[in-house]
Amino acid sequence: MSRFRSLPWWLVLIVPAFELTAHAWITAHVPADSDWAAAADFVRLQQLPRDLISSAPEYTDPLLRRELGDIVPLAMAGRSDDSAYERLWVLSVGGSLPPEAPEGEPDLVREFGRVRVLRYALGRSPVLLDLVQALSSAEVTLVQDGVPRRCPRRTGGVPRGGGLGRPVLMPIAERFECDARRPWLFVGSIVMEDLAQRPRYCVWQHPEGLEPVSVRFSDVPLGDELVFSGGIYYEHERMRSGGPVEIGVHIDGVQRALLTHRDGDGWTRHSIATGAPTAARGEVRIDVRAQDPAQRSFCWAASTRKRETGAAP
Amino acid sequence: MSEPVATGQPTGLRDHALGLALCLVYVAVLLGTASELGLARDEGMYVQAAEIYGRWLELLVREPSVALTQEAIDQAFRVNREHPPLAKLLFALGHLVQQKYGLFATESASYRFAGMLSAGLLLWLIYVFGTRVYERMAGLFAALAYALLPRPFYHAHLDAFDVPITLAATAVTYAYHRSLSDRRWALACGGLFGLALLTKHNSWILPGIFAIHFGIVAWTERRSRRQGEPSRISLRPYWLLALVLLGPLLFFGGWPFLWHDTFARTRWYVAFHLKHDYYNMEYFGVNYFWPPFPMSYAWVMTFFTVPLTTLSLGLMGTAFELKRTLRVLRDWLRARSAVAEAPEPTQTFWLLLGCMLAPLVLITVPSTPIFGGTKHWFPAYPFLALFAGHAFSQVVLAVRARFAQQPWVQASPIVLGVWLLAPAWVETAHSHPFGLSHYTVAAGGVPGAAAYGMNRQFWGFTTGSLAPYLRATLPNGGTVYLCDTIYSAWQMLIRDGHIPENIRATGDISQADLALVHHEKHFAEVDHQIWTTYGSVRPAHVLTYDGVPIISVYQNPRRR
Repeated sequence: MSRFRSLPWWLVLIVPAFELTAHAWITAHVPADSDWAAAADFVRLQQLPRDLISSAPEYTDPLLRRELGDIVPLAMAGRSDDSAYERLWVLSVGGSLPPEAPEGEPDLVREFGRVRVLRYALGRSPVLLDLVQALSSAEVTLVQDGVPRRCPRRTGGVPRGGGLGRPVLMPIAERFECDARRPWLFVGSIVMEDLAQRPRYCVWQHPEGLEPVSVRFSDVPLGDELVFSGGIYYEHERMRSGGPVEIGVHIDGVQRALLTHRDGDGWTRHSIATGAPTAARGEVRIDVRAQDPAQRSFCWAASTRKRETGAAP
Repeated sequence: MSEPVATGQPTGLRDHALGLALCLVYVAVLLGTASELGLARDEGMYVQAAEIYGRWLELLVREPSVALTQEAIDQAFRVNREHPPLAKLLFALGHLVQQKYGLFATESASYRFAGMLSAGLLLWLIYVFGTRVYERMAGLFAALAYALLPRPFYHAHLDAFDVPITLAATAVTYAYHRSLSDRRWALACGGLFGLALLTKHNSWILPGIFAIHFGIVAWTERRSRRQGEPSRISLRPYWLLALVLLGPLLFFGGWPFLWHDTFARTRWYVAFHLKHDYYNMEYFGVNYFWPPFPMSYAWVMTFFTVPLTTLSLGLMGTAFELKRTLRVLRDWLRARSAVAEAPEPTQTFWLLLGCMLAPLVLITVPSTPIFGGTKHWFPAYPFLALFAGHAFSQVVLAVRARFAQQPWVQASPIVLGVWLLAPAWVETAHSHPFGLSHYTVAAGGVPGAAAYGMNRQFWGFTTGSLAPYLRATLPNGGTVYLCDTIYSAWQMLIRDGHIPENIRATGDISQADLALVHHEKHFAEVDHQIWTTYGSVRPAHVLTYDGVPIISVYQNPRRR
């Protein structure tokens, strides 16, 4: 009788019961494709231009994109932060919330089978201009022997390959081409993997050497600050063996920040005061250089912003 | 805890008949379920090697003098020389049989058959091993518990080395154990060790385990003799002699590539594994690609992938035997009682414990690569299963003792066996054909593991599960970018009839009609390459397992 009082023998009865029950519960709580489709239809009908769409847990992201990928542009999928958005839609499984969900109650909750839709107000967006999306209006130059040389805008071309070890497939469809013989020496908007292996919608601006590759934007609404984020492609940064990359941020001809990206920094964010009246418009120039440009696949995202934004619409 | 009751039984013809039945049923199940699994990355390489080795075997039969020239040997065996040839030669034989007799339903099955047979033979061996060291009930339960491990069940289908080396390592251990009480088994121990060396380098650790174990055996035996006890076991290490003589003899004799330039080629082989490349593996959301690797990896992955009931029984059996062994040892050392039980002369518990822990401990070393997932410590699992079998038999004996008067007690082994194996059965059945993506309830199942950021797959074999979608989406043919699936694995899907010939593989995302992304953390960059190239983040199809994305398929907007 005593051996029946000992814990291990009771575990023999309890553990299989737990395992079978838990297995049944887990598999029964998997959302059906129709749950995702119904939730997506609901979001699609109510979506507004500055709405951010996300899902949780993180692994569900491909399912979100399958259903709503047509209204999730590259800029949203590869965002550096959420400041461009005023409402957040979350398609949630199992009660999970994404890190960008604000604290407090959502202002809308709907259930679609095993998928719950939540909507949060994020407040008015401070973003005045997203420089990544405005890249086509910029002017790009490569300085060689002290002489700036314009990098012409090109379209077309057939990117080759695919797979590990390639930050982006070249040539991209629209780019400023600085040297056709060096296909990496271009400036263009891409999605690139950062050190944390997250997608970043950013401007590829690979340094050529100590003389800078420059991107100049004119007539930019400057606002109060320029928020600049940047990093190097995952596989080129993860061994921590590359040299530093120097980034100069100039506003109306004045250098407002000289940043240095070192391997291991990852995707870093910098807030740079524009030094201009909030309503002013002016020129923004980004210079990128590196003593050793080998595998310095630098990419950045930036936007001008005002600090006081008021209430959400 | 109860007193030890089961102390091993001799095996006879009936036992081997049951072992054979286990083997045949398991192989039949594996053959019946293999076509649902696309060829894995490494399998593709071994198929390629087996094809070349097979041609050499044909040449050996046809023109032995030509086949045995260095030129012919080098030409054949230079391929995949980082691994010894035994398993690949067996894969080749399977295919040669297929060419002649057409026994298998698919070509891939013919290459895979030797691996499946290894898995079947392993069940037979576990049953016999368990019967000899514990009892029949324990052996049978252990064999079934091993058969119903989801990850080994997946690997048991493959033309790869992980299950064959598990069989070989267990067989060497069995022969070593037998050799301690019957020196004729030393010969088998040496011969099997040679075959293990010819299968995979995991075998290198076996002499170390045996040496430590034999030290314990020798110590207890010497002490016993000093106390005036009669000799119970020979202290002459015949097994070691056999290992040292037969192991290298078979290794070098069975690997034609080492017949020439022997020293340099052997050194290259050893160096390849001592300085192995590192590949990516996700663990709790971090992509590990360079040492130090997390020391918890093997233990947590075992906890997350071995069915909880089986694992609990394995630990119970281990704890029970540890407690009993230490108690016997303590009483014997203190000689508190005139009738103190002497430790069992072959020290079986320490041998099984060593064989169970050594592969896990090796992976725990921070410099040991972890990219192979659980397969790198598969040789531990037969011993875990043996301890689980032992715990099962103790449970049954306890129930029988407690309810001796009840009429139903005779059925208790079957009832308890079904009850204790049911979770493993359910988990293993549910894991197919996503064996490498499967996690048990300990991880919260597949969704729980995905939320933790555990690796979802490797080797790109899940492309096989996409075959119906690809056929339906490209009825007139087209091109597919394959991501982690290698070309030879894709070709096997065509040869097996799962994919029509007019759907071709391409290495260019921009030129593909469809582009695949296998969801492993480090392949996220392929997602991003596709987004930039196609200008869209929307997959046309997502292959899921328990709601967790396994493969995303993108349609090229320029080729619609």
